[in-house]
Amino acid sequence: MLRQPLTRALALSPSRVAPLAARKFAAQADKVEVFIDDKPVYVPPGTTVLQAAAEIGVEIPRFCYHERLAVAGNCRMCLVEVEKSPKPVAACAMPVMKGMRVKTNSDLTRKAREGVMEFLLVNHPLDCPICDQGGECDLQDQSMAFGSDKSRFTDIHFSGKRAVEDKDVGPLIKTIMTRCIHCTRCIRFASEVAGVDDFGTTGRGTDMQVGTYVEKMFLSELSGNIIDLCPVGALTSKPYSFAARPWETRRIDSVDVLDPLGSNIVVATRTNEVLRILPRTNEEINEEWLSDKSRFACDGLKRQRLVTPMIADSRGNLTPVEWEEAIVAAATALRDCPPDKLLVVGGDLADAESLVALKDLANRLGSEAVCTEHYFPLDGAGTDLRSSYLLNTKIANVEDADFVLLIGTNVRFEAPLLNARIRKAFIHKETDVALIGPKVDLTYEYTHVGDSASIVKDLATGTSSHEVLKRLENSKRPVVILGADQLKTSEGPALLAYTQELALSLQDKLENKEWKVLNVLQRTASQVAAMDLGYKPGVGEMLQKGPKVVFMLGADAGVITRENLPKDCVVIYQGHHGDAGASIADIVLAGAAYTEKNGTYVNAEGRAQQTLPAVTPPGKAREDWKIIRALSEVVGARLPYDNLEEVRARLAEVCPSMVSYGDVQNNNYFAQARALAQSLQKPVSGTLDVQLKQLEDFFMTDSISRASPTMAKCVQAVIKQKQSPY
Amino acid sequence: MSNSIVKLLALDKLSNLFNMIKQNGGIRGSLYKLYRQEELKDGVLVGEDELGNKYYENPRYFYGRNRWVEYNDKAYLDYDGSQVTAEWYGWLHYKTDLPPHKDPSRPKYKWMAEFTENMSGTTGQYVPYSTTREKIEPWVPKQKSSA
Amino acid sequence: MSARQAIQVGTKTVKPVLSVTQGEARLRVLSLYKAWYRQIPYIVKDFDIPKSEEQCRAKLKEMFLRNKDVTDIRVIDILVIKGQMELKESVNVWKQKGHIMAYFKPTEEPKPKDFLSKFFSGVE
Repeated sequence: MLRQPLTRALALSPSRVAPLAARKFAAQADKVEVFIDDKPVYVPPGTTVLQAAAEIGVEIPRFCYHERLAVAGNCRMCLVEVEKSPKPVAACAMPVMKGMRVKTNSDLTRKAREGVMEFLLVNHPLDCPICDQGGECDLQDQSMAFGSDKSRFTDIHFSGKRAVEDKDVGPLIKTIMTRCIHCTRCIRFASEVAGVDDFGTTGRGTDMQVGTYVEKMFLSELSGNIIDLCPVGALTSKPYSFAARPWETRRIDSVDVLDPLGSNIVVATRTNEVLRILPRTNEEINEEWLSDKSRFACDGLKRQRLVTPMIADSRGNLTPVEWEEAIVAAATALRDCPPDKLLVVGGDLADAESLVALKDLANRLGSEAVCTEHYFPLDGAGTDLRSSYLLNTKIANVEDADFVLLIGTNVRFEAPLLNARIRKAFIHKETDVALIGPKVDLTYEYTHVGDSASIVKDLATGTSSHEVLKRLENSKRPVVILGADQLKTSEGPALLAYTQELALSLQDKLENKEWKVLNVLQRTASQVAAMDLGYKPGVGEMLQKGPKVVFMLGADAGVITRENLPKDCVVIYQGHHGDAGASIADIVLAGAAYTEKNGTYVNAEGRAQQTLPAVTPPGKAREDWKIIRALSEVVGARLPYDNLEEVRARLAEVCPSMVSYGDVQNNNYFAQARALAQSLQKPVSGTLDVQLKQLEDFFMTDSISRASPTMAKCVQAVIKQKQSPY
Repeated sequence: MSNSIVKLLALDKLSNLFNMIKQNGGIRGSLYKLYRQEELKDGVLVGEDELGNKYYENPRYFYGRNRWVEYNDKAYLDYDGSQVTAEWYGWLHYKTDLPPHKDPSRPKYKWMAEFTENMSGTTGQYVPYSTTREKIEPWVPKQKSSA
Repeated sequence: MSARQAIQVGTKTVKPVLSVTQGEARLRVLSLYKAWYRQIPYIVKDFDIPKSEEQCRAKLKEMFLRNKDVTDIRVIDILVIKGQMELKESVNVWKQKGHIMAYFKPTEEPKPKDFLSKFFSGVE
């Protein structure tokens, strides 16, 4: 497979695997001195000339080289002059040698670049005015900076340029293959990071083509990244095609909320419209990748929106009303409700500000029934100890693990970028992976231990005869990841208890006391913040009581339906999309989506991050915490905060880590959680199942992606591709 | 001789007044007309258009005031200059002296559209619709059957 | 800065604007008040404002009493100067009707201050 040659490639440049300060478990080596433009720089042996130059801020132009992909060395743009070398050398592939003198701006280097540029432009169409890459095109920029002003290849005026047929690789990526310069970045990304070995080249010389051999869709949850990787306009975004130029858009840094990892994103907007979402580099979370759902579901922000508050009329039809009327109606319902009959549900995409405001309001009204949609066992330590519901290893450290045990989770679709990390470790670090749960395609090989919950028990108690137990015990940096979906069943508490027992007994034996083994992977962006704030996970218990008023803050997971509520129950829905929640509501309060508000989200590691408003909420929609604040005043239980700073101060009162943006606090009390869980270790017999098994399940999981036409197209295309014989 | 005495004593004006009141339906009718169109005139009914507006003429009044329209009673106070039909417009504005029913040269075809008044400023006015798509498509709640 | 200069700064007598004594300032205020008072009938007539002379006099008194607690002579002088400017603008009809009426009612709507009214008016 891919694994062997790559590890050999790694011997060439070990620093490529661990270029990051975020990774503190990597080893250090002695350094050698090289001179870049006569400036001395000390780098570890095996570093390439290009990386050494980057150390002192000399950027060497390149097309094929990418720091997160294997070195290809085929574009030749990074040619530099090295003293005592008869020919210019490719900086991206040449390892440094002691005392090497590199000239990045000599006549020879410049001439080499001009020559390469001239060759590239022989067949590259000059259609920049109609090319979507125009303005953010590496070829455009570098031909301006390093190219020549003329070409000697005049024969193309007679013979014409080479033309290549476009390929169809699905509804997300548009290909204009004539523009391709064969840098092979997309091929390397597909085989190394995405783990889908579909791309490749056919033919040689002028006849070389990049493609999928037989026409098929690029079946990956990370496919959008090859758009960013492509240095020219050969691969562009289909939904964004011909929409805007990069200099027209306003870019706002934000955080993604469609998966629990909280990937960092840049929201590009123009005329108060979200045009596209791009990844923002954060080495500790998403590196520079982004999953397709996070990237392409942004057109769902323009469909099915709640733009005005609504109240059900006498016939039960929701009709638009003014804010005053809606707030008064909601307040009346809340005031008339006995405290023990009020149920408050926080949804998947709710920000921490609105969650804390809503909880404060419910508590002021005398209700403690403040829940989230997804269940988490409250037995033992429950949600009191943060370590029991977070990814304690942290996302970036997963790639330093030497054994990963996945229990009842399909990481590939529940957290695509965590899966990319595991795959990175698998490929570059000889990490082995084992899975307990249904057999799914994780894009890498793994040991399938079975799908029975009792395996976890056997592993925890040490009675298992499976080789995985031995591997776990022998590994220096093991990681155990438990899918939070498994905890919803009646066996959930026992499963969590066994997982804790297993992980913490492994952790105790480790030499490295800093290393954390236990991980629980939540499914949604709001769950961690909600549990930090003291929300009770799961609504089951509260539903039994027959609530009179249900306040749903973006609760669209379909846990609450009209069937499991009493007939006379008043449902107040606050959210941004007309989905499962709004369609059963009596009063609808129009809130803002994550691109429209300044909201705090806590990712699965427990890292607090904030979204920034990129556009204004549509129509009469308002920021969520403000709606709750206004409602509280009308109810007569005024919340003591009037602006965002005051809400955040309140957040800090409840959970100080929630306002230290970008940081993760180390979790402790593992031993205590383990001790509390001891009594829960009951026999388990069920089988583990995951919700998202196939790629078509991945695209539409929340109210935003369900409203997105692009995501719907993806599902259709994947199903069609699966039926095709290729 | 007697005519000049009548004129001298302004008795002809008085008879005109009585005539006017008589023609407009007595004192009540005259007061109503005054309330509705702020003017009381006597004249010869020249014709009536398809909307029920009545056109009068009285050469005793000065040119410019000697042809007038009394709008259909149904319009009450909501009458408007644009309710004068196209056929009668010419006569009313002295473009022709022949009222439409006495003018044989007027073309009459099947395809000619019916006259409509100007609806600007009312709820029936023409509003051009937008051909561009809304940036945000709002959610339309499912209507429950109105049984 | 030497000690002497510091003392000089500390004891520096301020330059008067117009009046030297409190009494003089008072006189200026009173004469301005009288001038306005005498002008009121003409203002009502010239600007054709929907206010009676009595109402205007009450407003004049109110506006003077608004500054009744000012004791600094220089401030009083500046206020008198500004009052004279306003008076001149009224006498010469440099002002318009709206400017006179603005004494009675400010034209701008007061902005919502508390959270709830801000929320309902869409400011927040």
